[in-house]
Amino acid sequence: MHEITSSLPPACDFNEVRRVEGFDRIREQYPDFLSDESKLTMGPFDLLFFPANESELSAVVKEMVRRNIPITVAGARTGLVGGCVPPEGALVSLAQMSKVLAVYHAPYAREWRIRAEAAVRLADIDKMAESKRFPDLEKSQDPFVIEQLRLYGGEQQRYFYPPDPTEMSASIGGSVATNASGARTFRFGPTRDWVRGIRVMTMTGEVLDIPRGKYFSSPSGWFTVYDGKGSCYPVRIPDYQMPRTKNTAGFYASPHMDLVDLFIGSEGSFGIITSVDIALLAWQPKCSIILFTESDERALHLVETLRSDKRLKLDFLEFYSSSAMDLLRDMQAGDPRHVGMPAIPESAGAAVFFDVGFDPLEEKPDFRALEESTASAGVYLADSWAGYEPRELARFKAFRHLLPEKITQVLSERKKTYPGLHRLSSDLAVPDEHLFDMWRLYRTQLDQAGFEWVAFGHVGNNHLHVSTMPRNMEELERGLRLYAQFAQKAAAYGGAVSAEHGVGKIKSKFLAKMYSADEINQMHAVKTALDPDMLLNPGNIFAA
Amino acid sequence: MEIVVAVKQVPEISEVKINRETGTLIREGVASILNPFCEYALDHAVRLKAANPEIRITALSMGPPQARAALLRALELGADRAILVCDRKFAGADTWATALTLSEAIHQFVPGYKLILVGKQAIDGDTAQVGPELAEMLSLPQISYGIEAELTAGLKRIRVKREIESGYQIMEARLPALVSFSKGEVIRRAPSFKEILGARAKQIKVADASELGLAEKEVGLSGSHTHVVKIFPPSQKVHGRMLTGLEAGEAGREICLFLKDRGIPTDSDMRYRT
Repeated sequence: MHEITSSLPPACDFNEVRRVEGFDRIREQYPDFLSDESKLTMGPFDLLFFPANESELSAVVKEMVRRNIPITVAGARTGLVGGCVPPEGALVSLAQMSKVLAVYHAPYAREWRIRAEAAVRLADIDKMAESKRFPDLEKSQDPFVIEQLRLYGGEQQRYFYPPDPTEMSASIGGSVATNASGARTFRFGPTRDWVRGIRVMTMTGEVLDIPRGKYFSSPSGWFTVYDGKGSCYPVRIPDYQMPRTKNTAGFYASPHMDLVDLFIGSEGSFGIITSVDIALLAWQPKCSIILFTESDERALHLVETLRSDKRLKLDFLEFYSSSAMDLLRDMQAGDPRHVGMPAIPESAGAAVFFDVGFDPLEEKPDFRALEESTASAGVYLADSWAGYEPRELARFKAFRHLLPEKITQVLSERKKTYPGLHRLSSDLAVPDEHLFDMWRLYRTQLDQAGFEWVAFGHVGNNHLHVSTMPRNMEELERGLRLYAQFAQKAAAYGGAVSAEHGVGKIKSKFLAKMYSADEINQMHAVKTALDPDMLLNPGNIFAA
Repeated sequence: MEIVVAVKQVPEISEVKINRETGTLIREGVASILNPFCEYALDHAVRLKAANPEIRITALSMGPPQARAALLRALELGADRAILVCDRKFAGADTWATALTLSEAIHQFVPGYKLILVGKQAIDGDTAQVGPELAEMLSLPQISYGIEAELTAGLKRIRVKREIESGYQIMEARLPALVSFSKGEVIRRAPSFKEILGARAKQIKVADASELGLAEKEVGLSGSHTHVVKIFPPSQKVHGRMLTGLEAGEAGREICLFLKDRGIPTDSDMRYRT
């Protein structure tokens, strides 16, 4: 079925919606709403709304459309590309739409799911899924909700939500709108793979209820959306090929695609996600391993070996370059307790991190495959740190996230002398066969330029974050030019210019490196089909 | 040279939850770990061994069958062998019965020991009694709250830096001796995956009450001289009120009024310098 009809939520008085009016008041009372984690700020805006439900949201949308006022939507404001930073008009915060609506078993899919409003935080979903305690549901009057909660509580198995973006304070709605990914994407895929349905409000103020697996594009690549009044909005799916890598740049498109996928990762271009259904997965005990290698190249060779060994099931595959190890050694020299790990071995030239399934009480665990695979890459399990207790898993995870924190610290220090300075960070992914090519390009160019740089991140998906810490404005300027070349090259390799951070307002200019003018026009046509006046999230993806 | 490290498996808890009806700790859904202070003791044993390779480390625990996990952890971290003293008859042991059982196990299985290392206390019971009791039962000199240790006098003595309220104290004892350890500056070790797998290839000796030759009335609940009447978490301290931006005298008056308001007697003759 490629036709879908939206419906109007119960009416409510626009004047009843909680709001702050006037930019000065907004700036004074809600300074955090002026930016996100990118620290981008834009022009003044005069309206800030906090709708509590779909009815209130609908009232706001209809009134703003009537007055021709652009709307920017904010979740937990943890994005890195300014997606929720309003250039003008109204900001709609979904913060009040933060209830978990159900945990339920989907018998045909044989999986447990959570239905949650957009602003529920990922960390809370994780906590509730694990503890099996859902404060919102315990108060429910709905017999189905109560019964399902009881059944879930009675499960012996522990469950979890596989996508694990580093920023667990992100909202579920935001993470779906941006198709967020994280380390575990290597094994479990990005957020998209775990979304089983969404409710989304269009610019008509009506809601589309889209379960996965019900609405597919027609053979000629169309969806038709009808609103409650019978108006028709035909949408043609772009015909470009998506890169074979992790990708958050541009709208998802494929033949016979599921309508739910058009909205996932679209960065709020077509509608406002009000609630989502996500799937949980049975949790297995793990052991985190940090394997040290003599050099960066050896580490990358190990990565290629590990991921080509089909006997192994690694949850993620992450990398710390030799320069990253040196930076961590500096931190250990300063305050070893802050790092919280034993001294990094002298011989460690780089490191690869991964998790393996591991039952601590198994009498004779068999890890011959892992031993053989690592040894064939010239790396040995004796040169590692490993831990499996919950506190150890947490300690290893904290260690993985330590480096970005250190980079921020180094740059804050330099900003005191050069206030305009910022870090340069790549978010490029390339297909498997170009991992080494991309690495050599980074290393040669950055070393030749004499930059201070480190590489870390999702090497299993050929998605390294290469961070340069410019020492002055001249280095920053040269670095910006170099990073534009990197993006060009990644796109030429068939990769993605924004593998996980999205496009938002900051990276819209990179889109042209990956897509032709015609392909960008096709994206634009989808946008205008659903938002004819370009009032929703202006400036995102398409530069204003 | 034989070193025994006595260890305990404890629930990994940061916040104590108590079942109000039974007065016992809620352990449901809480992972079990090697008591952190025991891990510090083991860390010191491994350091001593690094300096003196002839040392052999035995990790010893009294506990239910699942305490094997704590001993596996000890083996991963560097213990050479492990002994689990495990019997239903040991259930409900207080610190005395525990120390007696451990002392007998040490007599039986590590008769040539020169040093016993323990954590200063377990993070679940917090009694800090088993170590000192064990030393008394074995008639050993003991040094508590150690944070650094080295063997001296040709491995005949141990020198320990220990925490005291006003700072540190260095003490020496002749061997055999018992030392309990605080956290100090230890950063927990991270074994290699090879060591984790290697630990599982080592055998853990399991011994029951009959092997220790202790009478039933000496162990477990019946061998205990104390019993727990009630367990409750300490009351949370209420955050204080901070006076800022006031002159010293003004602040003094404020504090005096605050105390008076709450009916706390203050010395009416008190004079405040302004």
